[in-house]
Amino acid sequence: MANNGCPVHNTLSFLRDAIEGGAFKIPKTRRIALEVMELVEDLARGRGGPEHVPALESCVDELVANASDGEAGQAAQKVQISLLQFREVFESHAETHTCAGGDCVRLTPAPCQLACPAGIDIPSYLTLVGQGRYAEAVKVIREDNPFPWVCGLVCTHPCEFMCVRARMDSSVAIMDLKGVAAEKAMSARQYRNPEPAPDNGHKVCVIGAGPGGLTAAYYLALKGYRVTIIEALPVSGGMMMVGIPRYRLPREVIDREVSMIEALGVEFRYNTCLGKDITLEDLRGEGFEAYLLAIGAHGSYKLMIPGEEDYLQVFPAVDFLRRVSLGDHRPPGRRVAVIGGGNVAIDAARTCLRLGSEEVTILYRRTHDQMPAHHEEVVEAEEEGIHFSFLTIPKKIVGENGSVKAIVCVRAALSPPDEAGRQRPVPLEGSEYEMAVDTVIPAIGQEIDGRGLEGFQSMQWTRRNTIHVNTISMETDQEGVFAVGDAVTGPATVVEAIAGGKKAAIAIHRYFEKLPQPQFPPAPTRRRRMNFFQVPAGLKNDLKRVQMPFLNNDRRRITFQQVRLGLDDTQAANEARRCLRCDVCIRCGRCVEICRDKMGIGALELGYMNFDHPGLTDFKITAERCIACGACAANCPTGAMQMTDQEGFRVLSLCGTELNRLELEYCRTCGAVIGPARYHDYVTQRIREISPQLDDARMCLDCARKSTGRVQAEIEPPENI
Amino acid sequence: MVFRNGQKVEIVRRSADESWEPYMDAFIGLHGIITDPDAAKNDPDALVEVSLDEKGTHRFPQDCLRVLP
Repeated sequence: MANNGCPVHNTLSFLRDAIEGGAFKIPKTRRIALEVMELVEDLARGRGGPEHVPALESCVDELVANASDGEAGQAAQKVQISLLQFREVFESHAETHTCAGGDCVRLTPAPCQLACPAGIDIPSYLTLVGQGRYAEAVKVIREDNPFPWVCGLVCTHPCEFMCVRARMDSSVAIMDLKGVAAEKAMSARQYRNPEPAPDNGHKVCVIGAGPGGLTAAYYLALKGYRVTIIEALPVSGGMMMVGIPRYRLPREVIDREVSMIEALGVEFRYNTCLGKDITLEDLRGEGFEAYLLAIGAHGSYKLMIPGEEDYLQVFPAVDFLRRVSLGDHRPPGRRVAVIGGGNVAIDAARTCLRLGSEEVTILYRRTHDQMPAHHEEVVEAEEEGIHFSFLTIPKKIVGENGSVKAIVCVRAALSPPDEAGRQRPVPLEGSEYEMAVDTVIPAIGQEIDGRGLEGFQSMQWTRRNTIHVNTISMETDQEGVFAVGDAVTGPATVVEAIAGGKKAAIAIHRYFEKLPQPQFPPAPTRRRRMNFFQVPAGLKNDLKRVQMPFLNNDRRRITFQQVRLGLDDTQAANEARRCLRCDVCIRCGRCVEICRDKMGIGALELGYMNFDHPGLTDFKITAERCIACGACAANCPTGAMQMTDQEGFRVLSLCGTELNRLELEYCRTCGAVIGPARYHDYVTQRIREISPQLDDARMCLDCARKSTGRVQAEIEPPENI
Repeated sequence: MVFRNGQKVEIVRRSADESWEPYMDAFIGLHGIITDPDAAKNDPDALVEVSLDEKGTHRFPQDCLRVLP
């Protein structure tokens, strides 16, 4: 039996070979082996349930008892060892209908789901959104992420980078559709919590009410834990609340989703800073048995240039954004320089503009195309009138009468790439100049402020000044203490913090249950296999990515109203129809090869199937060439390609996309279906030499044989048939 | 190398960085897409988020990555 790959798949292949190879010669052992194979096949095809693994075990025991020696005995023992060694994997196939190894092709998650750090079952919720079933979509999302609305607005959407549709034209607007589902479900009062497990009496303390801490609190509360969140700020949400401006993520969105977590019984203690307002000893005294550190990265790197510490008008972007989020809406200055090229710099600059600053310039020491900020954010900032000064290095902040007067900068050029291919900005001699500004906001990166965590003495820190954890279980080096979010990863994304929170909740539960922690990161779980949308090939091919409507530019420059206005039902449904359902079609390319190489037709132009070198994709061309022979559907391992007869037509569809529809013909003698004319012509052409009498007669094979058998008795079939 | 969103990369080697974990050995040779480069300052030491083809999204040290043409 193969040692690598999925044990369920390997066991199935091994058993099939053994049975077909005649290893089980005695009828009784062959019957039991077939039963074992049937159970394993159920697991490999997503048909397993909770009874399957115990039933499999007893069946395998029976097989070992009855096939005690020879080839059959060895085969039975190998199956038993595999089941003993990999019981968890067999159980996971039964419970989650997911194959983490990707070998059980019917159970492989789609690339978008695999790319999502939180592992959301994207194809399922897209299908539900397309059907207007928003509350169900939210339920699917919240199985892996308790913040569908937040992530529908500000997620970095790695899923869209891996979206297979992007190899064809552009990715499906997955993030926007998530936002639509959450907004509509909330509006319809159908956004509900699942039923939590009964109280188990264990107390967990979460330090920090950011996305990581809140996520862990949500999943722990669902498992029946008593969770208390200690938060230094007067509000929950962490960086979502005080780091992301309201025009991108309205406060109400965070409040509504946090209130859902609060409704599960999670206790929040605001304005409570660990090490200052409360100590670890106090918390231990309250009976907390496990701790989750989710303190975020609220400190800032300094520019390390003269003048930085001398003026009140120089303040870090994260401090500025926090102040504004907490209600201070005074303009920071008339002429503002924001230093940095990341998302925080863009957020700070756009916030300044909304608060009334007349001129806001982003100074960045590299080029436009090297800005780490997201492209859409940069474009939106440009639209709003933010100025950019690239290849600009700040050298000194100068002031007058205690206030900032200007920032001295030098021009730079990028050096030739070094050995690692990295280009560095090199100051150009004599290019120094002064830019008149009255406020300077550095936004060159955040760091973790570990003050207050001194009590966790066994906890280790990395050389990046982040908390050292096992990234599979989020356990720190101190027993019973876990950590997630920016405090672990450094400044990262909301969805990564959410993923960490989910992993930590699982690990904390295992810690209480005294179960060993997993040795590999959790695989995303396929929740279900939704029925396909029926979409004509032309529509599937030509639907372009939906364009999100934006608030008009004047309002964007003066208010904090949400910039992205959301999609309506029709837009959402059409966008969902663009999904290629990669949870079912695994892009193995077998259909293309069969059609082109075996049948000699070449009716399938599905160039998107190649990850590294995508070719042309044209769903419409199939209708011109396809003969509806069904070879592609017959060889499809997952049921993505289907051929059915519907009301007088033979229809070929790929994940619901109708590629071809041909009218059926019937045998003129007996009336049986003989397939479409194109198929019949193809067959007639191929057998013309051995059956010249048939010509264009519309007859089924049986009737044709009857009518020509006597004439053809003497003819040898040609070799190339 | 400055990594940018959307670039195709390959995990070419094991990294000596402390953030490399044993389970990542299975990722060597896989291709993926940069989904979150160092988001602030193009730090060569920063961990870069990569979505691997069929193997999920992870953060890697930059010295184990190669940009694919």
